[in-house]
Amino acid sequence: MRPVLVALLALTACNKDPAAGFLQTKEQARNYDCTRFSQEEAHERHPGLVPEPPARGGNFGVKDALICRRRLVEWGERNGRDEVILTELKGSVDDIVRLAHSTAPEKTTWYVDAFYPSPQVSQKISVAARVRLAERGQSVSDHVPVLAAGDIAVLARMPPWKSYGIACRRYFDERVLGAGEAFLGIMILDDRESQLHAGVCLSGEWRWLQ
Amino acid sequence: MWPANSSTVRRPDEQRGPTRHTGGLLAVIAVFVASAALAGELEPADAFQTELEEARANVAAQLQLQAYDLLDELAYRWAEEPPFEKDTAVVLADVSVPVGFGSGLQALLENHFVTLMVKNPRTHVQLVHCPQCTAMVVHSGAKGTVVGRGVDMPEALAAAGVASGSRHAIFLDFEAEGSVLVLRVRMTSLEPKLPITYAHTLSTTTTSAAMLRSPDKLKSAAEARKEYLELLEGKGLLLIPLTVTVRTYQTRPGSFIAAQPLVFVQAGVEASLSQARAWTVGANLGITWTPDTSVGWSIQGRISRLITGNTVSLTRPDVYAFIGGALIGIYGAGALGLKNQVPTIADIRDATQTNPSHYYGTFQAGLLMRLKNRIGASFYIESAPGLDNANAVGNFVDLGFMKWHTFGFEVSFCF
Repeated sequence: MRPVLVALLALTACNKDPAAGFLQTKEQARNYDCTRFSQEEAHERHPGLVPEPPARGGNFGVKDALICRRRLVEWGERNGRDEVILTELKGSVDDIVRLAHSTAPEKTTWYVDAFYPSPQVSQKISVAARVRLAERGQSVSDHVPVLAAGDIAVLARMPPWKSYGIACRRYFDERVLGAGEAFLGIMILDDRESQLHAGVCLSGEWRWLQ
Repeated sequence: MWPANSSTVRRPDEQRGPTRHTGGLLAVIAVFVASAALAGELEPADAFQTELEEARANVAAQLQLQAYDLLDELAYRWAEEPPFEKDTAVVLADVSVPVGFGSGLQALLENHFVTLMVKNPRTHVQLVHCPQCTAMVVHSGAKGTVVGRGVDMPEALAAAGVASGSRHAIFLDFEAEGSVLVLRVRMTSLEPKLPITYAHTLSTTTTSAAMLRSPDKLKSAAEARKEYLELLEGKGLLLIPLTVTVRTYQTRPGSFIAAQPLVFVQAGVEASLSQARAWTVGANLGITWTPDTSVGWSIQGRISRLITGNTVSLTRPDVYAFIGGALIGIYGAGALGLKNQVPTIADIRDATQTNPSHYYGTFQAGLLMRLKNRIGASFYIESAPGLDNANAVGNFVDLGFMKWHTFGFEVSFCF
């Protein structure tokens, strides 16, 4: 998607304004991510669209530019909670992985899974966490540890704050996970929330990270 | 400047813009009949669906370019620093597209990735065909029966002996996170524990456009940018335009000599004040020759201002408005029509001996369209006070204080 460049003219104000107004609705305006840059930096990034600053400075003409980019998927086109989770995926996964990394000893082999109502989004979350852990130099497996169907049937009837701890113990008891292996679970605990929670299962002990 | 799609992508809840009526009863009737026919063919729900599909196709097309860019960057990095020391058979296990997009985009990205790997053997990644790796397989063992993809159960593949000799699988995962497209790449070793042997995240930033690199000649981002700048800057601040100009004159009513058009071939220099080429100044010398009638010369100067933006465009024609002036000298029988006195038959008959001449200055204003500083076409009107009383030349427009005597059309080639 081509960036939108808004040159803010010193005297004539905005010539193309991404803000809501006569030309676009609030809904359309919300679909832009904008960052303000100096004219010099904006010219550096988009020499074809922003003129270079005059050699002697000057008090007139373009001073800075607001570089806007339309969201790839506009608000409303995907499920609202999915959209919030996916929009903030990189940042939230970075935070979770940083916390998880600090809980386990070096040379731990990590297994990751996500528990989210949408299987597609769940896969996105777990892949992001696996890749981020691996990028941090951790030993990561693409394998997803699974419990027996009977265990899952029982765990599904428990409240989340209890079920993850018991599942962790079952992983260890059933030798799905062994020594030197940790399981990072990422989930939402309430259908109404859009905040990811996470916990680590290490040596049969479940520890909430956030 | 708004993105290209802003005018073409309509949200489903928006109405189509008003139809432009260019006038004329027939046109109105035709538009009315066409609208009625269209309304009869499309139900509102269908129209909604059509617009939604158009919007999705438009977004996907741009998303596709950004995804291509990320794959290009990945292949470039692999070509520079191969993930394997020697050629290694790898299964492309999965290409996952952003949530909400379908298998069409997935197929495009998969094809592009395969093309990149084939055209860049330096990556040492040799893709192999392994349909069983991506198919759902059923594996029964001591712990029970498990259903899953082949790449997720390497022991099942090994038991079946269908891993195509591959020991690695590549997973490409794309996701649209706000305005940023993120590519997460991971490679796993097809062992029971499925260890991830390579992981990397690439993303488009909020401020960089797709570079559209050629798959078989990948460049670094810095090289692509340098190329872009060179293209943008063209051939520097100076251009040498070679121009063919046709000046047409209005014949004065009642004159018994028709004012003939003059064809000039001009060459000169055009200078821009900056790489943006927003302002340019130019001067040239021209010659004209009409068989058995006249020869002549011209000296012309212009100053031009870009009116389609602040800087020249790489993708669109640039339009300049210009003003300028010229000094023209004409020799031969053709000059007789430019003089104030009505020529006699003897003047015309003896023109080859007397070689009459006429000099006049002009002021001109017009529009010039340029294609990437290579080819241009312009149209202008010209006022020549020295021709106000010419016996054969009238004027196209008379503003009272100024008469416009000439329409000019030019085609120029810049070197």
